[in-house]
Amino acid sequence: MSEQTSILDKKRPDGSADILLDAQDVKVHFPIKRGVIFDRTVGYVYAVDGMTLQINRGETYGLVGESGCGKSTFGRALLRLEEPTAGTVAFDGTDLSSLKGETLRKQRRNMQMVFQDPLSSLDPRQTVEALLLEGMRAHGLTKDKTAAHARLRELLSAVGLPEAALKKYPHEFSGGQRQRIGIARALSVDPQLIVADEPVSALDVSVQAQVINLLEDVQEQFGLTYLVIAHDLAVVRHISDRVGVMYLGALVEEADADDLYAMPLHPYTRALMSAVPIPDPQVEDRRERIILAGDLPSPAAPPNGCRFHTRCPWRQETKCDTERPQLREVRIEGVPATHRVACHFAEEIQSGALQPHSVTPTIVDPDADRPRPDIVEDGAPGADPFPDARPPGV
Amino acid sequence: MSAAAYEPEVRAGDSLLSVRDLVVEFGGKGRPTFRAVDGVSFDVGPGQTIGLVGESGCGKSVTSLAIMGLLPARGNKVAGSATFDGTDLLTLDQREMSDRRGRDIAMIFQDPLSSLNPVVPIGVQVAEVMQRHQGLKKAQAMQESRLLLDRVGIPDPARRLKEYPHQLSGGMRQRALIAMALACKPRLLIADEPTTALDVTIQAQILEVLRELVVDSGTALIMITHDLGVVAGLCDEVNVMYAGRIVESASRHEIFARPEHPYTHGLLGSIPRLDGTRAGALHAIPGSVADNIPWTGGCAFAPRCTNATAICREQSPALEADPTGIPDHLLRCHHPILPGTDSTHE
Ligand SMILES: Nc1ncnc2c1ncn2[C@@H]1O[C@H](COP(=O)(O)OP(=O)(O)OP(=O)(O)O)[C@@H](O)[C@H]1O
Ligand SMILES: Nc1ncnc2c1ncn2[C@@H]1O[C@H](COP(=O)(O)OP(=O)(O)OP(=O)(O)O)[C@@H](O)[C@H]1O
Ligand code: SF4
Ligand code: SF4
Ligand SMILES: [Mg+2]
Ligand SMILES: [Mg+2]
Repeated sequence: MSEQTSILDKKRPDGSADILLDAQDVKVHFPIKRGVIFDRTVGYVYAVDGMTLQINRGETYGLVGESGCGKSTFGRALLRLEEPTAGTVAFDGTDLSSLKGETLRKQRRNMQMVFQDPLSSLDPRQTVEALLLEGMRAHGLTKDKTAAHARLRELLSAVGLPEAALKKYPHEFSGGQRQRIGIARALSVDPQLIVADEPVSALDVSVQAQVINLLEDVQEQFGLTYLVIAHDLAVVRHISDRVGVMYLGALVEEADADDLYAMPLHPYTRALMSAVPIPDPQVEDRRERIILAGDLPSPAAPPNGCRFHTRCPWRQETKCDTERPQLREVRIEGVPATHRVACHFAEEIQSGALQPHSVTPTIVDPDADRPRPDIVEDGAPGADPFPDARPPGV
Repeated sequence: MSAAAYEPEVRAGDSLLSVRDLVVEFGGKGRPTFRAVDGVSFDVGPGQTIGLVGESGCGKSVTSLAIMGLLPARGNKVAGSATFDGTDLLTLDQREMSDRRGRDIAMIFQDPLSSLNPVVPIGVQVAEVMQRHQGLKKAQAMQESRLLLDRVGIPDPARRLKEYPHQLSGGMRQRALIAMALACKPRLLIADEPTTALDVTIQAQILEVLRELVVDSGTALIMITHDLGVVAGLCDEVNVMYAGRIVESASRHEIFARPEHPYTHGLLGSIPRLDGTRAGALHAIPGSVADNIPWTGGCAFAPRCTNATAICREQSPALEADPTGIPDHLLRCHHPILPGTDSTHE
């Protein structure tokens, strides 16, 4: 443990600001190519389209939103695993786009990622020990053999695995244990920020709590800052200090976790929260549900104005489909300045001056962002074990 | 936009499907026999929704596939009975069962794409079911098909009718599949994780369609899910499964208010609630589903159970009435968590 120090021991570059990560107007647009001989760019998938957020040192920022809204792409862009089309990302005061080669590689050590199924993309022939050492070696953390092995033991105990796990292979572990290894791997290079992309969504319900608790424990132990990306609002609310809600490539609302759940202001957040099932029949029976009409529009053809206007029950003729609302503070009694929302009419909706109306669903072409109209299945978690089984009469 | 406060009408006693001691074993030459479903019994009546809940591998899908006669032709053994309207479905041959599936019983799956024919427009697929099972003429069936797509909430059904499954979003495909299931006007619908692959706002739409179906048509619904929240809002009766057996069974109000089996209790304590307090760590259940022991060696949950004692590792508990005398609350446990004896949950 000679060269590793906890970030708690490190001095802040300047005493005042404790913003660790600062993303300004980040955009990631993927070109859509068509054509057999010449790849022509016929359009763009506006996967991330103007994300601005700051993450404070030591906090957990939760990013929620539905499938395809750009959460993972944004997370990857932060780590420069995806080159942003526009915008800047500063880590600890340094603009990452100004870094090249060796310095970028060095900086990467500070930012690690935990995936949904961490080992699915890794070499199944490597033992856990080899997997953990690989990352450490890349950052020159294995020169002192004794220290490296002490570190391995420390990592395993931090994530609650026995030392015997070192000699085993990924497939010998259950999903929950694999996620522990994924977390140990991220921790192995002593990062400051961990971006966890759906860290528990592939796990069994009874195991999710173990991993959520573990993430919280190691955060405290190693003084980590988290960006937790997930579609499960209850999980995000539990783990996060602040929460950002994404819709079609941008934030629609951001607030402290408790404030957001106490008073969701954006119509999309309201609908999303009302749709989350709560394991309590008494609550379920009494709940007011906002059932949204239609599907999420394709990020290849995002609606003009407010991106949510095609499904918004409060949409107004005046400007919802022409002017794109920016994240702003609101003038509502009891709502702090940290609670910001991108809706033109947040105040009027909250006061009841504007009432919801019915919405005619618009048709969404699920192929709009795909290179060719082939039969492609979107990433459904967990494949059906009986793909041959047919429904009645087929 | 709709407010849903809904209390389904339960007509106790008139059971439509009655499953008794269902056992499904997988195995074959040179492979050890594996009991995926181990003595499952439950009833569902018209207009009633029952839930089968449990984690990955506990036997939910195999239970429903056995009832539907959809298990692979080879390599498994099914025992017990599944009496539907006086007929034991498990005794029917392939042809009789396939006829039943078209007429009385339908099933929808998690992954609608695998259940839809990729090269036939969805309107035609729905219409074909109607032609076959209701004897409608083609034009009339197409007309009915349009009405059905409209009823399950597919926008602009006249246009969607002509589209192929890959042209629809996941939510729309699931609706198309529900429309197809409804085309035969089933008296029983088995839904196996129908919303697991969908976003939560789309899930809310689909659950609303299913609710309406049960209320308006009196269809009996078996809802299979791992999501206790979905169960809380939809099911009249809840059966919690673990390692192939039902470990707790009660009405939804009862089971959520008084989870008495350590597994049910643990599950409810381990999931973060959107409306709960955020303070403190979650009460995680130790170990994983894979740690279970065979029921023949005691209680399968014993390796993970905080209440386990020596008897749990010797004697397999039977599914019995709740010791405090609450009617229709069944438990499979030597040391249930009875009200007043516990502090871990809530
Ligand atoms: N490399 C790529 N090329 C083209 N399009 C892409 C690429 N990666 C992502 N996309 C598209 O960008 C959009 C956002 O994808 P992203 O994976 O960031 O969403 P997400 O919010 O993480 O969704 P999920 O919850 O399903 O993981 C989607 O429409 C996706 O199809
Ligand atoms: N065709 C088969 N041959 C052998 N074993 C099988 C077969 N089908 C299922 N099983 C096993 O039976 C058990 C129960 O499976 P089942 O699919 O019913 O689980 P489930 O409760 O539906 O889980 P999930 O939530 O993952 O869908 C599992 O251990 C599974 O591996
Ligand atoms: S800006 Fe208009 S369309 Fe957008 S959320 Fe607000 S009311 Fe709805
Ligand atoms: S029988 Fe014993 S091990 Fe099984 S759930 Fe009950 S207390 Fe736990
Ligand atoms: Mg993602
Ligand atoms: Mg299943």
